[in-house]
Amino acid sequence: MDFPGSLRPTVFMTGPLGLSDVPDMSFMCSWRDALTLPESLPQNSENGVPHVAKGLLWEPETPGPLPLLPPGPDPWHPGLTAQDLLFRGGHPFQKQPRVVLDVTEQLSRFLWDHGDIAFAPLGKLMLENFKLEGARSRSKKKTVVSVKRLLQDLDGHQPWGCPWAYLSYRQRRFSILGGPILGKSVANLLGDLLHEELVTRWEQLLLDDAFTGGALAWVPGKTPRVGQLVYPAGSTLDKLYFQEVSLTPGGNPQVLRDPGHIQLRGPVRQVVTRTVQGESLLAVRSDYHCALWKISRQGRPAPLQVLQVEKGATGISLSPHLPGELAVCSRSGAICLWTPQDGLRRVYKDPDTLVFRDPSPWRWADFTAHPRVLTVGDRTGVKIVDTQVRGGDCHRQSSRTEQRHGVGWGRDLPEGMKSSRSVSPAGGDGAPDLGLGGLTRFLSQGPPGCGLLLFRGGAEASCQKGERVLLTQYLGEGSPESLHSTLHLICTQFSLYLVDERLPLVPMLKWNHGLPSAPLLARLLPPPGPGCPRPLLLGGQDGQLQLLHITGEEASTPRLAGPPQSLPSRNDSLSAFPVLEPKSQWRLQERLKAPTIGLAAAIPPSASTPILSLFQLSAAGDVFHQCLRLQADPGPDSCAPTVSWSPQATACCSQWLKALLEVPPAPPVWAAPTFSHRRLLGCVEQREVEGKVPEGLRAAMAEGRLLQQRDLGSLPTAEPPPAPEPGPDDELSKRLEAAWEGRAAAWWERRQGWSSGPRQQPKRHKRRTQLSSTFSSLSGRLELSDATSPPPSPDPEARPRPPGTPPSQELAQEHWARGVPSERQQTLRDYMAKLPLREDPLEDASAPPSQTSSIRATRSRQRTLQDNTAKPPLQMDTPEGVSVPPSQTSSIWATRSRQRTLQDNTAKPPLQRDTPEGAFVPSSQTSSIQATPSRQQTPVLSGSQRIRKKPRMGF
Amino acid sequence: MSDFSEELIKSTTEDDQGERCELSGTGMHFPWLQKHIETVATGGKKEKDFAQTTSACLSFIQEALLKHQWQQAAEYMHSYLQVLEDSDSCKRQAAPEIIWKLGSEILYYHPKSNVEAFNTFADRMKNIGVMNYLKISLQHALYLLHHGMLEDANRNLSQAETWRYGEKSSSQEVLINLIQAYKGLLQYYAWSKKKMELSQLDKDDYAYNTASQNMLDHSWKTSVNLGALIQIPGVWDPFVKGYVEMLEFYGDQDGAREVLTNYAYDEKFPSNPNAHIYLYNFLKREKAPREKLISVLKILYQIVPSHKLMLEFHRLLRKSEKEEHHKLGLEVLFGVLDFAGCTKNITAWKYLAKYLRQTLMGSHLAWVQEEWSSRKNWWPGFHFSYFWAKSDWKEDKALACEKALVAGVLSGKGTWLCFLFI
Repeated sequence: MDFPGSLRPTVFMTGPLGLSDVPDMSFMCSWRDALTLPESLPQNSENGVPHVAKGLLWEPETPGPLPLLPPGPDPWHPGLTAQDLLFRGGHPFQKQPRVVLDVTEQLSRFLWDHGDIAFAPLGKLMLENFKLEGARSRSKKKTVVSVKRLLQDLDGHQPWGCPWAYLSYRQRRFSILGGPILGKSVANLLGDLLHEELVTRWEQLLLDDAFTGGALAWVPGKTPRVGQLVYPAGSTLDKLYFQEVSLTPGGNPQVLRDPGHIQLRGPVRQVVTRTVQGESLLAVRSDYHCALWKISRQGRPAPLQVLQVEKGATGISLSPHLPGELAVCSRSGAICLWTPQDGLRRVYKDPDTLVFRDPSPWRWADFTAHPRVLTVGDRTGVKIVDTQVRGGDCHRQSSRTEQRHGVGWGRDLPEGMKSSRSVSPAGGDGAPDLGLGGLTRFLSQGPPGCGLLLFRGGAEASCQKGERVLLTQYLGEGSPESLHSTLHLICTQFSLYLVDERLPLVPMLKWNHGLPSAPLLARLLPPPGPGCPRPLLLGGQDGQLQLLHITGEEASTPRLAGPPQSLPSRNDSLSAFPVLEPKSQWRLQERLKAPTIGLAAAIPPSASTPILSLFQLSAAGDVFHQCLRLQADPGPDSCAPTVSWSPQATACCSQWLKALLEVPPAPPVWAAPTFSHRRLLGCVEQREVEGKVPEGLRAAMAEGRLLQQRDLGSLPTAEPPPAPEPGPDDELSKRLEAAWEGRAAAWWERRQGWSSGPRQQPKRHKRRTQLSSTFSSLSGRLELSDATSPPPSPDPEARPRPPGTPPSQELAQEHWARGVPSERQQTLRDYMAKLPLREDPLEDASAPPSQTSSIRATRSRQRTLQDNTAKPPLQMDTPEGVSVPPSQTSSIWATRSRQRTLQDNTAKPPLQRDTPEGAFVPSSQTSSIQATPSRQQTPVLSGSQRIRKKPRMGF
Repeated sequence: MSDFSEELIKSTTEDDQGERCELSGTGMHFPWLQKHIETVATGGKKEKDFAQTTSACLSFIQEALLKHQWQQAAEYMHSYLQVLEDSDSCKRQAAPEIIWKLGSEILYYHPKSNVEAFNTFADRMKNIGVMNYLKISLQHALYLLHHGMLEDANRNLSQAETWRYGEKSSSQEVLINLIQAYKGLLQYYAWSKKKMELSQLDKDDYAYNTASQNMLDHSWKTSVNLGALIQIPGVWDPFVKGYVEMLEFYGDQDGAREVLTNYAYDEKFPSNPNAHIYLYNFLKREKAPREKLISVLKILYQIVPSHKLMLEFHRLLRKSEKEEHHKLGLEVLFGVLDFAGCTKNITAWKYLAKYLRQTLMGSHLAWVQEEWSSRKNWWPGFHFSYFWAKSDWKEDKALACEKALVAGVLSGKGTWLCFLFI
């Protein structure tokens, strides 16, 4: 291979990031990179200005990408936003707003929504201080509070600190009494855990590196025009779809038939494909598993291997040189190479980061021009590591730690695949220091075998302060014809670097991409035509796309040919959709704004102008497509002509939108257990007269959608709809009129009936779902659907309901419950039901202790919640008699992700293919249990014995 | 004057900004953090209207640039210049650099712009503030150089060279060195032009003497200009090349050797393969002993085992008398063929086939085994697969034959036959 004869002059400085003394020579102009130094004078003076392709432009055919496939049937929830996590107060004394995680609000929401969990044990401790109805008051002590009175006082009390709420002396006494205990204990126990969890969530919101590399792949088919898109879809992204697509000469792709799919056990995070020596291979990374398929000529995937990564996989890459080889990185800092011959082999392990200390466990590995040399990357730098097996420094590990073959496949793999074959040490002890291609290159830096830094987050590449590596990628294809077989792409949040592995530490090209989101996706495409520069696509997480033209033959340094270009994002397609009512519009916007998690592109051969077909996958599982046409030399006056939507495009969009709106909206991830609105609806039902209006109202409430005219039917003319509020004057005159006639009270009642009755409930419902969805950050998506039931239907009726109280008990409670508002009654009733004072507590109290572990607000390791409950608190959520197996609980933790947890994953075989041959259930979830050691401690039952001695109510 | 003092305290304010963006606890900066905060922050000090409009304008310019709408970008730029009046000193200081970056880009790509417009813009920008003078001068000169206007570039660099402000900071020093070096490069270009003319002249001519006298002057100036920079760690290929050429021309072989040795072996420099290649080529020109050449290439081999000089290295090693060199010769060939970019190098395969036979005849089976044992589990799939056999046979029969030969020697007759006939 030829090395560029003369490199661009660069100052080389060693030092930490953001060294202010380094003159930043790149200065971040794209034009500066296009500059060439005249090699020798005569040639230059004759030729004048060397030709630089100034007007290289890929012109989009539509103003934005179009949906390629109809939306999936599962609802999608956009997840947490900054508003859910950050403190929303004013900062009067600060110039710039600061980020403050709002622990207090989350905590108070927890106390409000889960008061039973938070206070029940304390309540039991303080039982002596309560006088429950029915028990005779024995003492006139000031430390005993009457529950009934207290609840009566609380009637109408607004929970969110309503300043006008009336405080009775009883309440005051109660708060004085209980304040120190109630306020502190819960906050102390939960505060730290909650804060930790919020920090994790916030960091995830700022940078979600799970989808680094992208989960969309284009597998070329038999002819250059046909290929397959491989991508995950479904609400949990656990179905891997294979969609055959044909690219027409006009550039528009045609979906060929219904996609095939493979059901996997976890969410798919990364899909990689390579065609090596005519073999198409497909590697998939999930959180704790990696899998490899071979795609046959007919486009059918055949499974080759599954690897289990106990600490969690962060990256997978396929070798461009040898069919079937892949490198996997785990959070523990280990890099493993899997080869068909040797099986799995750990080639590198370092829990620490390369250059300086950084807490991120993200690791990345890719191949280089040498098939046995890998790059190993983390947030601080990238290193080249030789993986050749030789005598002495054989990194071979026992097959135990990182490797477990054959898990979850439809058939048992032959024995030879399960354990890696041993390779005799090469060369014996006489292995020389020189020679052996790969290794020798590393002798110049550091001790042998420890590798050589290819990229260092520091002054060498004039990195900024706080700059971190987000993506590294080998740009060579393995075929000897490829020009960039030694180039590596390194992306940080600020810049893009091209580094040649033969000249480590000094970037050949640096460009400030300025993307407003993390660039986690990159694709280098083949040149669209002879002599054309190669398009390099860079995709930000929020959907921004940039296209760079990389030129440079083997014997010259890589350069940008022409200024980089931004491509339309999915957000730009909004104008192609018809205008909707606000709620649907908002839903559409959310959907279009979903993070981009995959990027694929193909350049179909075309006779005239080159065409680039660009596919994007969003976190909602939507595949969008855009067609771009290369404008090689636009005229001098060409500012990019504005394209507009064609009728076909808008038709396609409205069709897609129709399908989207038919998908039911995402149900609230979690509903407060004590106030199921089913119950509220029940109460309403009893009171109200039957009619079309209340029915429509209820239906709308239950589905949480906008109340529309058609739901209500023809409204009685006497009662105008509340929407056009009569002006205050008007209202006043009516009131006065009524007063004159002596019917002021009736008027007031009627008015009350209108405004506060039915209209308050949807509001409250909305507020609650909002609260709860926010709070779900804390609870880590507790979806305790039972393992045996069919997958939850979108019908809200099918959601878990609070346990029904036995009728006898209800009767017994009637007498004391009078006078307490219905909402409170339910709380009280539930609370009573939880008290261990009943004669037959056994049947209820048998919830498995493992559930408790799932309530732990964070996945923190060593903390124990000194639970004073006599009973695991979450019993309320699950239908009675169904206990959640421990495995499921922990697997909820195993897939802590933005996706919802896998439904009934114990019942489903992992990685089961949809063909019958592949039915095989492995030994279930052991791995995920190990991956996140869930503590299955039984809560400390300190309070229960003591309470028993003084039952105040005679159940 | 207030401008200057502001710029001197710039570094501290920058740090403040850095801390402001951090906030995540990991030390990482997120350019998109502000966006998140803005969705939440309700109170606090609102940005002034002025700041809002300028930042909106900036984003419009950036967007227009990325969409190649040069005309529009220029219009926005026109409005953006108001940022120089910003009352926020921090922003005001950062402004010239941003304006230069964006403005020069617009002028570089704008279909209606010309060199004059660029010159005017650059000259204006140089004198706004003090911190950017050197950088802009340098880039301006590079622009002129790229457009073939060497005279103007030289004048620009000369002006910049003498510019000083305040105490010389180290970054300023590097920049001045760079400016001098580029000036030296320009002089080298002029020199090599003269050399060319000279080679066309008759030696006895009177003109020859004056011309050579001229060249001597140039050489002296250039060596001053170039010598300083190449002491600083960095990649200085064009400068070193030119400098060495001049030194050689004037017979200062020792000086040239020193420069090259320093450039190649100084530990503070990045491991630049070109440094070793230049040194090797110089030594070759100098007809240095084979031992010397081998030792230079040995280091290049450690850095870039895939370089095309490796075949030359192999030839040298083969000719050497030492046994260890013969062994290294085998290693080098294997090393070259390890790389994806070299798999179709027929010369390497020819050499390997020939040398394998030679080694085995010399009864050094152990050498071959040693090389082969670390490769035997991947070379067959990498080089001798059915796929490559077929495609090589289709494209280049000679290559296929050489590969088959090597495969046969390395893995026994069986494999070889497989390779050839499957």
